[in-house]
Amino acid sequence: MGKNKLRLSIVTPEKTVLSDLPVDFVTLPAFGGEMGVLPGHASFVVQLKEGLMHYTEARHKEVFAVLNGFAEVHKDKVMVLAEAAEFAKEVDEERARQAYQKAKETLAIRGADLDLDEAGAALRRAAVRLKVAEFRRRHKLQ
Amino acid sequence: MASLRDIRKHIASVKSIKQITYAMKMVAAARIKRAQASILAARPFAVEMDRLIADLYRELGEEDLSGTAARELFAERPAGGTLCLVLVTADKGLCGSFNTNLLKAATAWLKENRGRKICVVAVGRKGRDFLRRLKGLDLELKYELVGIFPKAGYVHAQLLTDTIINLYRTSPVESVTLIYNEFKSMMAQRIVTDRLLPLKSHIGGGAKERPAAADFAFEPGKKELLAALLPRHLGAQLYRTLLESQAAELAARMNAMESASKNASELIEGLTLKMNKTRQAMITTELNEIVGGSEALNG
Repeated sequence: MGKNKLRLSIVTPEKTVLSDLPVDFVTLPAFGGEMGVLPGHASFVVQLKEGLMHYTEARHKEVFAVLNGFAEVHKDKVMVLAEAAEFAKEVDEERARQAYQKAKETLAIRGADLDLDEAGAALRRAAVRLKVAEFRRRHKLQ
Repeated sequence: MASLRDIRKHIASVKSIKQITYAMKMVAAARIKRAQASILAARPFAVEMDRLIADLYRELGEEDLSGTAARELFAERPAGGTLCLVLVTADKGLCGSFNTNLLKAATAWLKENRGRKICVVAVGRKGRDFLRRLKGLDLELKYELVGIFPKAGYVHAQLLTDTIINLYRTSPVESVTLIYNEFKSMMAQRIVTDRLLPLKSHIGGGAKERPAAADFAFEPGKKELLAALLPRHLGAQLYRTLLESQAAELAARMNAMESASKNASELIEGLTLKMNKTRQAMITTELNEIVGGSEALNG
């Protein structure tokens, strides 16, 4: 691997999660599918959907849950603007599972209600969190 | 003249009120730190978002934009349609003139646009109640968001944004006006009346020089990206508004409660003086009576 590193920043409305962290490799949950970024990548702007985001720094690997947003890659600088981003270790699996159940029930019960969109969004969020938790578990086992 | 017991009772009640106001002041003071921190934390996101939009907007020509969903948010609409007001107030009282000033500003705005059809989005219980009380206006309460302070999150801003954009797209709304309290400093707030929609076309106009557009790849297409970005921009703006209003409310409450505690202290001082005087007067009268009585016996 070359000496070049990506500088990764993750910003959400509520806080700055990472700023200018040097990393080797980033994958983004892009709109059209997963997208890997290595140093020297062409500049681009991409819309993100909710999903997993990984980055590798030396041997260390970290996973994020990212919910909707944008990413900009320019001159080895990766800027992620997400509505929410959570570290894998911050995700509470039990809570996510409960939220998932609850959102599913809400969707089942309510018909054409105002809360429908919200419940759908909650369901997607919970699903992503569950995925992160699962990933983390598998990763530890390996 | 009030009896000793009455005065004592009065002092006790003022004291307990003072305890409450003092506690409220301390709570507000503790929360305001967090509120200020979240305003600061929200800033980088908004800045980056604006920069991205400015870049995109510059790369897209006018002709590229026409007819897209994004264009709709920028375009001026013909005058004479419905007007929309977004009023951000507090949920609770006991914060000095915070709500009163807001409602005054809202009333002034409503007077200015008398005779127009108006739809309102109310944030905060006080504003909602005020708008519900209004009679004789062509006014419709479209959406309300109450009980979110002092824990306003981005989720709330998003809900608000979705509603407003939906409203703007589906009905012939001419413009959306935002009235809220801006947090200037601990001591001062400022009422802000601002136009939210249609968007001003110079978002982040003063952005730095950027490399040629050809260097950038966009997915999924510039127009779609811009269309997806703009609601987020609106969301970030509304989020900031909510946070500002929240901090301003806490600051106002802190000041109001501080002066209330001070007044209570003064009141207690005065009452204590009065109590002592009354007690002294009673003792004097009793002494007089005893002396008089003994003199009558001796004489």
